[in-house]
Amino acid sequence: MSPAFLARRAWAQFRGEVLVLPSRTLAAAWVAAVLLLPLVLPDPYVLRVAAMTCIFAAFAASWDLLAGYTGQVNFGHALFFGTGAYSSALLSLRLGFSSWIAVSVGGLISTAVGLGVGYLCLRLRGSYLSFATLAFPLILIGILFAFPDFSGGELGLSGLQPLAASRIGNYYVAAGAMLILVFGLWAFADSRFGLILHAIRDDELAARASGIDTARYKMAVFGISAAVAGVAGALYAHFMRGAGPSTLETALSFQAVIWGVFGGLATIYGPVTAVFMLYPLTEWLGSFSTFGELRLLIFAIVVLLVLLFMPRGLTPWVRDRMETRCPRCKQQNPAWRKACRLCAAPLRLSGAAVT
Amino acid sequence: MLQDILVTGLVSGSTYALLAIGFSLIFGVARIVNVAHTAFYMLAAYGLYALLVQGGLGVLLSGALAVVSVTLLSVICYRLVIEPVRQHEAAVLIATIALALIFQETVLRIFGGSYLGVPSAIDGVAHLFGVAIPKQRLLILIVAGAMLAGTWVLLYRTRFGLAVRATANDLEVANLMGMNVNRVAMATVGISVALAAVAGVSVAPVFVVDPFMWLAPLVTVLATVVLGGLGSIQGSVIGAMVIGYVEAVTVFALPQGAFLKGAVALSMMVIVLLVRPEGLFGVAFEEER
Amino acid sequence: MTRQLIIAAAGMLAAAPAALAQGTIKIAVLGPMAFVQGENHWAGAEMARDEINKAGGISVGGKKRKIELVRVDSNEIQSVPDATNAMERAITREKADFVIGGFRSEAVLAMQEVAMDYKKIFLGCGAADAKLGANVEKNYERYKYWFRVSPLNSPDLGRTLFAVLGTIAGQVRAELKKETPKVAILAEKVIWTEAIVKAAQDNLPKMKMEVVGLWQPSPTATDVTAELAAIDRAGADMVFTALSGPVGIVVGRQMAERKMHAVAFGINVEAQKDGFWEATAGKGNYVATLDTYAEVEMTPLMIPFVRAFKERFHKSPTYNAATYDAINLLKTVIEKAGTTDAAKLVPVFEQTQSVGTGGQLEFTKSHDPVWGVGKTTGIAVQWQNGRKVPFWPPQVKGMQKFGFPGQI
Repeated sequence: MSPAFLARRAWAQFRGEVLVLPSRTLAAAWVAAVLLLPLVLPDPYVLRVAAMTCIFAAFAASWDLLAGYTGQVNFGHALFFGTGAYSSALLSLRLGFSSWIAVSVGGLISTAVGLGVGYLCLRLRGSYLSFATLAFPLILIGILFAFPDFSGGELGLSGLQPLAASRIGNYYVAAGAMLILVFGLWAFADSRFGLILHAIRDDELAARASGIDTARYKMAVFGISAAVAGVAGALYAHFMRGAGPSTLETALSFQAVIWGVFGGLATIYGPVTAVFMLYPLTEWLGSFSTFGELRLLIFAIVVLLVLLFMPRGLTPWVRDRMETRCPRCKQQNPAWRKACRLCAAPLRLSGAAVT
Repeated sequence: MLQDILVTGLVSGSTYALLAIGFSLIFGVARIVNVAHTAFYMLAAYGLYALLVQGGLGVLLSGALAVVSVTLLSVICYRLVIEPVRQHEAAVLIATIALALIFQETVLRIFGGSYLGVPSAIDGVAHLFGVAIPKQRLLILIVAGAMLAGTWVLLYRTRFGLAVRATANDLEVANLMGMNVNRVAMATVGISVALAAVAGVSVAPVFVVDPFMWLAPLVTVLATVVLGGLGSIQGSVIGAMVIGYVEAVTVFALPQGAFLKGAVALSMMVIVLLVRPEGLFGVAFEEER
Repeated sequence: MTRQLIIAAAGMLAAAPAALAQGTIKIAVLGPMAFVQGENHWAGAEMARDEINKAGGISVGGKKRKIELVRVDSNEIQSVPDATNAMERAITREKADFVIGGFRSEAVLAMQEVAMDYKKIFLGCGAADAKLGANVEKNYERYKYWFRVSPLNSPDLGRTLFAVLGTIAGQVRAELKKETPKVAILAEKVIWTEAIVKAAQDNLPKMKMEVVGLWQPSPTATDVTAELAAIDRAGADMVFTALSGPVGIVVGRQMAERKMHAVAFGINVEAQKDGFWEATAGKGNYVATLDTYAEVEMTPLMIPFVRAFKERFHKSPTYNAATYDAINLLKTVIEKAGTTDAAKLVPVFEQTQSVGTGGQLEFTKSHDPVWGVGKTTGIAVQWQNGRKVPFWPPQVKGMQKFGFPGQI
């Protein structure tokens, strides 16, 4: 197995599996862009914004798993983000854990909280679940304010050490973690596990009737989603060198919802795309001294307009333009093809084109 | 202290009730979670400020104009923004969040971020059972009662109310029976926002007016409606009273814990939901197939 | 030959902006520009810049350089990450030499980290939290570039409060003919009030005042009916406040509506603003609070500054306008040190005493303003019939008398 052979095989696989579909090609290009960014633009400000984008992308993707795939629309997702941020900060500052361990344990604590919330929400349906989850971060803020010596009150905790020494290092930590987490979530969602989640969302009764222990799956999803959001929160805290009540704000929870729906529910890559498009955009708008104060207004208008034309979200709309599904073998094909790339069935029904 | 709690709870509860019935109505009929509900409440408060303080019009005229213009605005927003995406629940949700943000930012631009005060319609203090209540608060109580009564009459004693209730009960059958479901939904939106606007106009003099004043009441309204049961009007009223009293008890019993009143009220809601997942008076919806 | 000339010319043209940039001293003003705090940050900075540039600029080792201000919206009230992004942008993109401003303590703590990473001098003009100064003492080498110009840190604000209380207490006893007036403490449940509340609970009995209770609403509360009803029932003569949010407005208004005979004094940030009277719908009478600026002669510079500010911007300055002092202090220090190098300026800052508009500015070990009569204390004002009337320290020129409900 010479390296040349492996390289040629890898290239052949890449060409055969990834480059055949525009959506996969774009994803590959995006991964390359994320990894190569510091080489092209080593500006620390750009890297800061990019690191934030990666952290929020992981946060939004975790929300999608919960809301898009199982239909448990969580209005208080910031609870997990804040739990991860605060617990890793407390571990680093009060117990002297190293930053890496603090982040990991913070993620675990967040998972436990997620399982707890999931258990509490098992009997709640639809909007009841959404509004109950809205309450949890606010209750936690109340508790944190009641113990200011422990939690730092309205100031939060500060003085954390970042995970890497340089800005480029910190960026790669955030980007690397995001890639691992997002692809992990996507693998979950694309597997048989994800299929069951779809079933639970569409008709829980029928899923139960088919023998699926829906409670266990729903709780598991809460746990996984909380884990990813918690790690994102812990990374945020170490990047910003502090964790405060702003990590539990309702506005942050709403932001996750906006990113999720704008990007496209039940896709995982949808919210990630939304974050990568909207977060740098609002930051760029904010840098203009003349109308920088209008950034939130412009953001809301953009979201509204996009929603009017693409109600299912941005990525499903774009994907529909780029690809079609073969009627026979149900696999995705680039939209310009005349015949399916796998089963050769004709993709267009226009009278003369079929041969 | 007991009469303090009784009276304070009643007054806060009625304020929340006024906000909650509109929200509950629109959810029950159109299945729309209108996150912008309290944003309309904020717009009405600013409208009152603009007309009364800046424009110098009389209290009644400013209030009426504010309510009417906000109601009209809501109907326009519904036609332009909500109706096209009615089919997609998630999109409707985001659309209302985006609308609320647009209102907030627009108001921030026009009026600035400072806290504004609106003069009371009625000045002075009344004494009820030995408790001093500002007269404006009593006005809120009376207005809330009148609105509730009016809504009840509308829903249960008019043909239009019948159409609304029928649509809430079963949209498809109502459509089959010849009711213009879209128009009913639009009218319901109008009535619901009108209730929120009336709340805004009555309550603005008691609190402060700022572009972010819609966030805290939103949480309370959601808690109230969930506690009482989505889609149930009397549930919302009872839920509002419960939340109002829980807050009053927290503040009077635990003066140092006054900052916890919001968290306690929300915890109350969570506990009730654990015991009874559809709220106190809610109807457990069958999943629509 | 022509090609070489063109290349040389292009090179010089490219270098020219750099040379011009060498000419100005760039100061970034960071604040929530959509809100009154950021507006004041910018206004004070503009006034300082215009005055200094009119006189030729700052003299750095013999060469005069003008000030260039960069307006950066930190949006800190709505988003803490936006504030840190803004700080990084100001330093790396806008290439600011110095940074001034800040308001929300949670955000300023995060912004401080960014500024210290780049070793830029950051002059605080808005956050009172003690941790910002404590960081300097804990890790001097890293945080030494931070100096707080305004306001006093929270514990020192507490010291001013009790100094004022001492003055009022005598008046209270005389007017109300009570030996031990009853005081209700109404403080937001936040970190910055902790030290003040504790000090109040300790000191008030020593000052022969009875504490009838402690009420702690949330910082975002807009309704204090329940608290005031309880305070009224407890028969309080004075309400000792530590409020920074909208509660301050509601307290003033609802106390007047209930015709409470108690008078409110303490820290009430909303009551420091011009818009307070209108925000309470004309009912915020007798509300007293600590403040920074009024037309009184705390220093020889205060009255001219306040008058010039009012004339130019048609509103009174709040404590955030101390950016004016910050820039003037920077000028003094740079001229003394003869350089703009941050590391060399730090020791000069530490040793400089300068007359500011708010007080005599001098720094402690934690780079906070030194507290004391003749240094920086702040003033106390009371709203009387629509005007903010300064009444403390009583011996300063321009001060008037504190009033009780029913007197004015």
